[in-house]
Amino acid sequence: MNHRWLVSVSGLVVPAAVFWSATMPVAGQARSAGARTNEKPAKAYTAPRTPDGQPDLQGIWTNNTFTTLERPKNVTKEFYTAEEALEVVRRLAAQEEEQTEPGTVADVHYDFTQFGLDRSQEAMALNLRTSLIVDPADGRLPPLSAEGQKRAAERAAERKSRGGLHDAVQNEPLGARCILMDRNGPPMLAGAYNNGYQIMQAPGYVMILVEMLHDVRIIPLDGRPQLPPNVRQWTGSYRGHWEGQTLVVETTNLSGKFAFQGSSENMRLTERFTRVDEDTIRYQFTVDDPSTWTRPWSAEVPWKKTIGPIFEHACHEGNYGLRNTLAGARAEEKRAAEEAAKKGSSK
Amino acid sequence: MRTSRAVAVVGLGLLLAAAPMAHHAFSAEFDIDKPINLRGTLTKWEMINPHSWFHLDVKSADGAVVPWMIEGGSPNQLIKGGVTKKSLAIGTELIIEGYQAKDGTNKGVGRNILLADGRRLSLGGSANPLTNNKP
Repeated sequence: MNHRWLVSVSGLVVPAAVFWSATMPVAGQARSAGARTNEKPAKAYTAPRTPDGQPDLQGIWTNNTFTTLERPKNVTKEFYTAEEALEVVRRLAAQEEEQTEPGTVADVHYDFTQFGLDRSQEAMALNLRTSLIVDPADGRLPPLSAEGQKRAAERAAERKSRGGLHDAVQNEPLGARCILMDRNGPPMLAGAYNNGYQIMQAPGYVMILVEMLHDVRIIPLDGRPQLPPNVRQWTGSYRGHWEGQTLVVETTNLSGKFAFQGSSENMRLTERFTRVDEDTIRYQFTVDDPSTWTRPWSAEVPWKKTIGPIFEHACHEGNYGLRNTLAGARAEEKRAAEEAAKKGSSK
Repeated sequence: MRTSRAVAVVGLGLLLAAAPMAHHAFSAEFDIDKPINLRGTLTKWEMINPHSWFHLDVKSADGAVVPWMIEGGSPNQLIKGGVTKKSLAIGTELIIEGYQAKDGTNKGVGRNILLADGRRLSLGGSANPLTNNKP
């Protein structure tokens, strides 16, 4: 347990109040909890405008969160009270700061706190929601369609046929290979660190720099059509437009290689960015993929203004870890083969 | 006060243990059966993504100097926390408690990186996520 965390808890109330207006259910409003937070309160915030008249989303933001995509199974309500939500953050932050037991697999890791990798050292918008998923109302992914189940089984079989995780570089996770991570998406969701995003706007375009992997999304706003259907990309083809205060970004033409939650290349993603106060963007997305799920589903997470600049994440250049992992697996195989040979010769 | 909070947490029954995921599986790269405890001087600090690397010269029992590399955290967060390449001088004496690479070379991961006097090398930021906000 780290004491600086406990000491700083008393300071939570004031800054937290700044952004709760965006995420906190307001008593006496509509019955649906989703509506309570998704609808703007009467005194709506109006974002400043860029020189060309777009609502200004520019700045450096973070989607850092402890809230899970799906609601924990032992939680039945849609919102925590403010006190409960703070308790959640405190508890999870304490978990990340605790050291593990020496000599256990979990311990093969540096201490997160000393490298600034624990989430408690980064800005975070307190989210009263118990899950990022807002629809279905149970906060869980909808059931897979028959086609989705079949594809999941096929993918698992294909993956198995390629051998072990460390048998070939192609078998390693996309993140370990510096190709794509959850921060990149689409949709863009936080991990434990490097959850920064920089938004810049120019006439006709919105640019989002994703800190992790230094990925850049340049979103045209001029109404051009999506790429031809035969052109498939890791992060798809995306086009934006404004609906009042909200930037709406539609993504199609995915390759299916980054299968978000098991999605297919037919996934249509709609993302919505609304600046709900000076320091907060409400990021909402809807996943529509009948090839995978029995119904569309939606989630939302607040993005909070944070400090910059964003340092380049040149992942490939320094990726010693991938080489070390593969070399480690080869060394283990060699050791096992030698032991087997020794056993064989002693018989 | 703290006791009542603890009780409240248990009562809520919340939460999955959200272990922070790094960019790769550390247990695949480093060997739980090869704990290391090194004392050496910093010769180079590579502040590179996705992980920084500390290069150390470690004196072995027979007086020979053996170079080691120790994996550390992502520089992005360090820089955000005000840590730069100048924050840790070349020549600083460090004690590394960690685990050696599975391939048996002189590489490791630092579970703890301590200064020579035993103080923990704290390279992180401070405060908590809800107050550590925009400038």
